[in-house]
Amino acid sequence: MRMTLTRAGALARRRRALRALAALPLAALAGACRIREQQADALVFRHPKLFGDPQPLDALVGEFERAQGARVRRETLPASSDEQHLYYAINLSAQTREFDVLALDTIWVAEFAQAGWLRDLSHLVTHGDEHDLFEAPLASVSWRGRRYALPWFVDAGLLYYRADLLAAQGLAPPRTWVALQDAIHRVRAGQPALHGFLWQGKQYEGLVCNALEFIWSHGGDLGAGSEAAARGLAFMRRLVTAGVSPPFVTTLTEEPSRVLFGRGRALFLRNWPYAWSLLEGAGSAVRGRVGVCALPHSAGHASAATLGGWHLGVNAFSRRAALAERLAAFLAAAPAQKALALAYGYSPPRRSLYADAELTAARPFLGSLGALLDAARPRPVSPYYVAVSQVLQSEFSAVLCGRRAPEAALAAIARRHRALEAG
Amino acid sequence: MRLRAARLEPWVLMSPALLLLAAVTALPMLYVLWLSLQQRALFRPARFAGLDHYLRLAADERFWNALGNTLYFAAVSVAVELALGLGFALLLERAGRVRALVYGAVLVPWAIPSVVSARIWEWMYHPEIGLLSYLAGRPVNWLGDPALALHAAIAMDVWKSTPFVALLLLAGLQGIPRELARAAAVDGAGAWTVFRRITLPLLAPVILVAAVFRTIDALRVFDAIYVLTGGGPANTTETLSIYAYRVLFQELDFGYGSALAVVVLAITGIAALAYARLLRARIE
Amino acid sequence: MKRLGAWVGLAAVCAWSLAPFAWQLLTSVKPAAELEALPPLLPSAITLAHYEAIFAGHPFARLLANSFAVSALATLLALGFGSLAAFALAKLRPPGRAVTLAAVVALSMLPPVATVSPLFLLAGAAGLRDTLAGLVLVYSGFALPLAVWLMAQFFRGVPDELYIAARLDGCSAAGAFAKVMLPLAAPGLTATGLLVFVFCWNEFLYALTLTSSVAARTVPVGIALFPGIHEVPWGEIAAGSVVATAPLVLLAIAFQRRVLAGLTAGAVKG
Repeated sequence: MRMTLTRAGALARRRRALRALAALPLAALAGACRIREQQADALVFRHPKLFGDPQPLDALVGEFERAQGARVRRETLPASSDEQHLYYAINLSAQTREFDVLALDTIWVAEFAQAGWLRDLSHLVTHGDEHDLFEAPLASVSWRGRRYALPWFVDAGLLYYRADLLAAQGLAPPRTWVALQDAIHRVRAGQPALHGFLWQGKQYEGLVCNALEFIWSHGGDLGAGSEAAARGLAFMRRLVTAGVSPPFVTTLTEEPSRVLFGRGRALFLRNWPYAWSLLEGAGSAVRGRVGVCALPHSAGHASAATLGGWHLGVNAFSRRAALAERLAAFLAAAPAQKALALAYGYSPPRRSLYADAELTAARPFLGSLGALLDAARPRPVSPYYVAVSQVLQSEFSAVLCGRRAPEAALAAIARRHRALEAG
Repeated sequence: MRLRAARLEPWVLMSPALLLLAAVTALPMLYVLWLSLQQRALFRPARFAGLDHYLRLAADERFWNALGNTLYFAAVSVAVELALGLGFALLLERAGRVRALVYGAVLVPWAIPSVVSARIWEWMYHPEIGLLSYLAGRPVNWLGDPALALHAAIAMDVWKSTPFVALLLLAGLQGIPRELARAAAVDGAGAWTVFRRITLPLLAPVILVAAVFRTIDALRVFDAIYVLTGGGPANTTETLSIYAYRVLFQELDFGYGSALAVVVLAITGIAALAYARLLRARIE
Repeated sequence: MKRLGAWVGLAAVCAWSLAPFAWQLLTSVKPAAELEALPPLLPSAITLAHYEAIFAGHPFARLLANSFAVSALATLLALGFGSLAAFALAKLRPPGRAVTLAAVVALSMLPPVATVSPLFLLAGAAGLRDTLAGLVLVYSGFALPLAVWLMAQFFRGVPDELYIAARLDGCSAAGAFAKVMLPLAAPGLTATGLLVFVFCWNEFLYALTLTSSVAARTVPVGIALFPGIHEVPWGEIAAGSVVATAPLVLLAIAFQRRVLAGLTAGAVKG
């Protein structure tokens, strides 16, 4: 077979072009696979992305750096909660040294403590702290009588309501579930297209927070044979069947529910404190018309809110444990928490700060939350919580969709918990 | 003329590919089989567990639910894709001058990443401001109603995969000699009879190939549904792959999760065997 | 009448294929305020704000670069190894080739979830977790069956005589492969390359589990994880979807014939 010169030339040109084309991704790859300089001296602090200007946190960390003569590098975690948990679990089980101080979701502390991944920080919790810190976060960082993390900031479920619509009917913010339903009934008489009560009903961790609030506010709790808990779950289901909540509440997470309420499409919303600044922000359709109060309860029982938030732990395998502990203690101390509250609006877990004049003046909403946050309840503090949560999510979702009776769901949850504990 | 090659030469040439394949697919497959017989969960001592996970699986209601969802999803979506795909193929055959345009349009769903497709459909399925609720005239809880959610996922898969099936069937149609249809027409057969007696039987092998291809893909579906619904509501869209993923990467139970993965492997393996049989017949 | 029926049918097929993507395109240029309710189907004004936002507020450019790097390198690797193997199978015809090819193709039927945990653990052990190199290796491995199968079909279409002539001229098998077979199978290479590229670009599960930081993240994972804790920016998600898909759609349309040839190769008696 003979190849003409032009054909050979064309082939050669094509080969050159291919080589050049191949060089492009190689360059990109090289850039992307850049080897990180090993800063042996810097302490690494991993935390979720903070919403707002990174400058205040940088300033705080800088203060620590100057005081200790050390360097600190901040690194953000992956975006989703699942990914964060997976990242920590995989790396800590491999005894990584990649980070020293870690921010933890409140539901992970017992698990990480049991696994031996966190340093015992009991000596950093002073006597004063014991009285100053809210009970629930303290409980969630404790395992077998020792403290394995320092409470950093907290969250709790709140009821947001349209103050203008309630005032027009001469109604006060509801204290009981019956009052809530009654308010919805009355307001909807004039505005049938309005949704009643929005909350997070999608099959995910947020559903567990909401469902527990329903259970607790009916006087029940997770655990065998709680009739009150079954009543709470039945109430949750009735919210949908009675039209108090729209059927698509089963697709809602924090943001979609907040956005809907923020457009004025609902009377009540259950959400975390973060939503306030967004609802009251410039350009919000409901600005100046929203109120906040504790979640309702059923008659004869108390209001209940699920605890959320983040704590600071120290990697048990860190090479610079002493310095890491000092950083954690610094960030969890009152002055740092006050600075973060002022800058980002994150609620600190200290009673003293809610009496602080400067804080309450600059962030009046936050200041008003003190009592509500203090009363929050943690989800079950157990090393098996993350595994149990899988069952909680699917069982609560089944009850909400009417596919499971509350008693059967609670029994299934108890069975699974027993199986996990037994190993 | 027979080509005689040095004994080893072909294997030498194949070795880079075979080694990489072994490293990335065959070895992990063996590893997951081994893992499924071990206990590898947080807080549990690492030990040999034998068939414990498989016994647990047999009694696990959530497993059977996931299996049921997977089989239902596969059966319905493949059936619809074949039917629709055949219709599309018959239309595409008549494309004539606008062929390039139509083929291009039909390739778009195929080119879109399944994750992006899930986002597009999630937006269209929005209960209040989604396009589909708008077309239905009232808010519909597409993704939150346990009776609707799996079907919503099926619709999304049908949209994405029908073009591929249509193109396969089109190639098959184009392979059928025109003379046969013309001869039948001359003999007085109507269009429907020609289709039923000539086209379909000749197309059968290609339909079968398309069916097996799509079934295997449907049985191992993960991406699109995970992004669309995450497996909810009430586990009604949780397929086996999603359940296995949850147990592996959320519960961090690598032993039981691997057992679940092995079951997915077995199911697709059965379908793949069927395909391999078809292939063997054609390679010779 | 039949003609009209066919035209209407074809229009329906096109509408079906394009409508969702077109809707996403529309959404991506709608001003944010108009995304909040549905009667306005069409935007009153075209805005590029969402596109700006995804590049400014999210590291979308990085994601695109990563996807491109990984897909391109994996494609080259798969094509290289794959065509060598396909050539051996199709032209050198070793004994046991039927079984080997069937086994190779069967491996492509593996459910990703089956091998994700071992690969996750192996990648960690090899230090390849959260790196693009790890993804490249995994993707080329997964793309190999497709590459081998398609290239084998194309090599079969090249007459044996050409190969024999090259050998008679004194080339070794590998030499004949490089100088004669490969250039002739160029259309096959293009088709296979396109299919492999699309497969790598769209892959999700392994990208999700094998990477965690933004530095190594690819586009599908970025789209799936789009909002963080707050925000459901439908406009930005739409813009991201369009940007993520546009390269592939353009490739598919531009190289239709090749892509179609690749998709149908081997499924139908040639």
